[in-house]
Amino acid sequence: MKTQIPPSPEPPVEIPRYWRTLGEREETPEARKAAHDEFLPGAVDVADLPAPSEFSRRGFLGLMGGAAALAATVACDRKGQGTIVPYTRRPVEVIPGVANYYASARQEGRRAYSVLVKTREGRPIHITGNDEHPGFKGKTSPRTIADIMGLYDADRLRAPKAEGRPLAWAEADSRMTAALAGAKAAGKPVLLITGAVASPSRKALFADLKAALPTLEHLAWEPVRGDGAAEGARAVFGTDVEVAPRLEKAKVVLSLGADFLSGEDPEALAAFGAKRRLSEPGQATNRLWVLEGPLSITGSNADQRFPVRPSRIAAVAFALAKALQSRGLGLPAGADLSAVPAGVPQGVDIPAEAWKNLVNDLASARREALVLCGAEMSAEAHQAAHLLNAMLGSQALELRAAEPLATVKDLDAAMQGMAAGRYAAVLLWDVNPAYAFPRAQAWKDALAKVPFRAWMGLAEDETAAQCQLLLPVNHWLESWNDFGSGELFILQQPAIGALYDTRQGEDVLLAALKGLGAAVPADYHAYLKARWQKEVYPAGSPVAFERYFEVALHDGLVKDGKAAPAPVFKGATLAAAAKQALAAQGGDLELVLVPGFATHDGRYANNGWLMETPDPVTKMTWDNPLLLSVADARRLKLNDGDLATLTVDGTTLRVPVVLQPGQAKGVVTLALGYGRTTGEMAAGKGVNAFPLMALDPAAPNLRSGVQVAAAGGSKPLSRTQAHHRLDGREIVQSWSLAEYAQEARDRKKGPELVTLYPDQEFPQHKWGMVIDLAACVGCSGCMVGCQSENNVAVVGPEQVTRGREMHWIRLDSYYEGDVDNPKVVHQPMLCQHCDDAPCENVCPVNATNHSPEGLNQMVYNRCVGTRYCANNCPYKVRRFNFLEYTADKVEPESLIYNPEVTVRPRGVMEKCTFCVQRIEDGKIRAKGEDRPLQDGEITPACAVSCPSDAIVFGDLKDPNSKVSQLVKANRSFKVLEELGVKPAITYLADLKNPAIEGGQHEL
Amino acid sequence: MHPFDRAFRFVLPVGAVAVLSTVLAVGWFTQPDRFAKGYAPEQPIPFSHQLHAGTMKMQCLYCHSGAERSRSAGVPSAEVCMGCHKVTRTDRPAIQKLTQLYNAGKPILWQRVHTLPDHVFFDHRPHVNAGIACQTCHGEVQTMPVITREMGMRMANCLGCHRDPHAALPKDSKITRGPENCSACHR
Repeated sequence: MKTQIPPSPEPPVEIPRYWRTLGEREETPEARKAAHDEFLPGAVDVADLPAPSEFSRRGFLGLMGGAAALAATVACDRKGQGTIVPYTRRPVEVIPGVANYYASARQEGRRAYSVLVKTREGRPIHITGNDEHPGFKGKTSPRTIADIMGLYDADRLRAPKAEGRPLAWAEADSRMTAALAGAKAAGKPVLLITGAVASPSRKALFADLKAALPTLEHLAWEPVRGDGAAEGARAVFGTDVEVAPRLEKAKVVLSLGADFLSGEDPEALAAFGAKRRLSEPGQATNRLWVLEGPLSITGSNADQRFPVRPSRIAAVAFALAKALQSRGLGLPAGADLSAVPAGVPQGVDIPAEAWKNLVNDLASARREALVLCGAEMSAEAHQAAHLLNAMLGSQALELRAAEPLATVKDLDAAMQGMAAGRYAAVLLWDVNPAYAFPRAQAWKDALAKVPFRAWMGLAEDETAAQCQLLLPVNHWLESWNDFGSGELFILQQPAIGALYDTRQGEDVLLAALKGLGAAVPADYHAYLKARWQKEVYPAGSPVAFERYFEVALHDGLVKDGKAAPAPVFKGATLAAAAKQALAAQGGDLELVLVPGFATHDGRYANNGWLMETPDPVTKMTWDNPLLLSVADARRLKLNDGDLATLTVDGTTLRVPVVLQPGQAKGVVTLALGYGRTTGEMAAGKGVNAFPLMALDPAAPNLRSGVQVAAAGGSKPLSRTQAHHRLDGREIVQSWSLAEYAQEARDRKKGPELVTLYPDQEFPQHKWGMVIDLAACVGCSGCMVGCQSENNVAVVGPEQVTRGREMHWIRLDSYYEGDVDNPKVVHQPMLCQHCDDAPCENVCPVNATNHSPEGLNQMVYNRCVGTRYCANNCPYKVRRFNFLEYTADKVEPESLIYNPEVTVRPRGVMEKCTFCVQRIEDGKIRAKGEDRPLQDGEITPACAVSCPSDAIVFGDLKDPNSKVSQLVKANRSFKVLEELGVKPAITYLADLKNPAIEGGQHEL
Repeated sequence: MHPFDRAFRFVLPVGAVAVLSTVLAVGWFTQPDRFAKGYAPEQPIPFSHQLHAGTMKMQCLYCHSGAERSRSAGVPSAEVCMGCHKVTRTDRPAIQKLTQLYNAGKPILWQRVHTLPDHVFFDHRPHVNAGIACQTCHGEVQTMPVITREMGMRMANCLGCHRDPHAALPKDSKITRGPENCSACHR
């Protein structure tokens, strides 16, 4: 008879202060085991290795013998040394082995990023922000850093094509000219659809084209830019506007679903970071209020965040305006809020005390308060946000009139025109409506009725399949252009010649112009220069134009000094908008469609670096799951990874779900830009959410009356939130300002750590890093920068699901408190370069050991892949090449590699090196110039890519270095300090500045 | 024959000889400098360092100008050669071949003589700037009609000098030793 063992009594569940997964919050046995284990269970499985074939031991030994003999023979071959191929004529600026930097620019939507492109032997290999730019100050966005991959995308179209066969440009030109001339003669319209026009020269070119071809109709379309914002701005300003926050001037920031800290805007991140980097508790900071449906990066950095359904955001904003009016802030002329009831609107879950605090904050900060509204929000919400800023007289934002963008309605009208046979020709340039227009099938059918269809783009996409003439265009790194942003002109210059038989899109149009009989310069470069000489070059300048242009190219920008007048606020439409806002209801469940962090509108879906960078909030890679609040998921009996059907207006998608803490109840979120059908990397990753978009330009991204139901079955999620879980005390620290004041007064001292090891000696340098969690917003720019600098492999969704992602630096996000509205702390985690590193002691071949400069070195050519080091690393930052991720890379993909860093093969352990190649280079340069190293001279890629300057690197031996000063800060702590491994990375505690009960404000 | 007899008289000596010869053969085949030293492949153009660097006393850096500024010393572009050879010795077949290649814009495919594995990131700059003569590693190049490898360029060569650089450094050099940590060269 079996003995019945009584189940041991469950220990009382104690909710840890910080948690990463729901399981961890409830301390399930699985979660506890995950914290102890080296890798995820799947990572070390060998199930996916090819099954051994019928192969005897004898046969194996025989083959080995043969192989050894062959190897010996090959090793004897003296011809194996290869050749050296020098230049025939060396370009003067190129010294083989030395990097050159070129200032250039990149456009995304209306925004232009001024960048520095690092090239080696003529090949762009790394992108950083341009330090000459007064706003960006050397910083840029994660997608900008990663977009270098678009240049070397193997899927790029390499020559013009018509009806599936390659074509010479001359023939393509003549076909284009014939079609346009025919349309002109017949007086039939020609439709040109492009992305946003941010370039004054491109705008001038369009004007020239319009003059030569009067029947031209142009639509500038950005599918995820938010038509609600445009509609709202047109209602109150009579024009489209661009809202640029000036966070350095803001004491109180209110975000109404606005994700302005997403990394897309490095200026905002820099200003936000600067305000949060406190060295003393009493210093001036800001307070960020966030009211939003889905948890965004901005929401994860909020001081006070309340989940609010997006359908109610406009009502909230109008109620705030009403409350501010009652606090004596004047309404602009024409505005009428008499219909708006006082207090928190119905159906919005904000406690009365918090509401009072919010109104107080805004009313007392006035000009130093700022309200930002999310692009996905409705037109009414945007009107209300503009009203709030006008009432506050906010000086913390810059409003600029912007070129109008086409809305879904305009596209719909164009589609109906095509279906009715209105257009003689359609030119599609860098847009993909066959994928991104909500009614894609109707679009395709309508497009088929246009007699001449030309497509211009980088890689054949869904739209290219519908066109006759395919014209491959240059990547921006191969192109000329200029961008005007207010008082500044940014220049884009090619960092490499065209890799293939491609042309810049503008040159295609210039050829068409020439064909139509216009007198135009030979190419766009000449066109741009001629325009600059006429428009930008200051009259009567003592500098010759050629020289002036050269200097502008070198700097990448020119300060023009001509500021456009700010648009004037008109309040006439507000009463109607308020009425509509109050009536808006989202139904049982409402859906928000947000641009994908990696994919944006789908154009980066073929970019492996971006696709593998975990979404900063959900930590999802390669896929777009449906995000549900925990409460809704429990109600619908859904769990992480379960498949669900999402039905909106008769359109049904089958998607895996993710339970997202902080998601507002009744709100589901789906990211756009996934589910492409073309592109080697992009195809089949996630689902296309564009069919769910509404054709209503007031709020195309918000859908009400959504149905979600369990579809049965589940899908393994390539999500890193539960990966690399640490086990120990106080891994992150997040303090309110009151806690900070207390900690600064009497810091709890930990027990003194004793060690059996002798102290390490560092004769010259001791490299160290400080990461300020208060400044870090979690934008993941560091991850992309590191991946680019250090040739970190992309492994794909299956491998990520197994926990085999290779990122050297990762962003762990920890939740704190209520599962419905938790606080979030982002923590960049990378090799801590411990003085007494546990990984070093266990390596049987001494492949990892300590350098006299405090670096934990990893020697790939010595590593035999025992993985003991990873097993012993308490921070779980070591990455093992489980499979061969790099050997099959050939040109053009291999051209992206940094030649200063080894490309690691299968079976080798790797990890952060503190960018040792930059350290060595910096030391060698200083030595060559016979001077000591200066502080800040050496910066690893993560620190350079950090827009909020949260990462500081330097020499801890130098008492005056920035890093030595910061290590002593009263917010400093080390992760898992109790283990006594003496990490070289110091973290500074995260700070939250919540409103204090009773209306006391520390601002 | 007794089985032991056979073991002692035949199997043991033959076995011992086999083991010994295997060890010696493998050792000889894999000795560091066996193939590295003395490697002097035929070059596409019979360029003589003896003539240029020896007889005419041209500076190494005149052609290998990267050595001071870059990780790699570099092989000069054909343009550098043509700087003189547009006018000098234009009657020689080798110079005519050079001119032909140069005019056609075709590179000269030199046979690599000195090479390091891919995982070694040697940097010429600190060595040249410290005053170490090129000949320390590359041999007496100025006496070589055909460039020949003199040093095996194994890690032992590097470390030997890094641990005690006085043999290589000029007398008045203040440098005491080079780095010996892994990531100085491997990363």
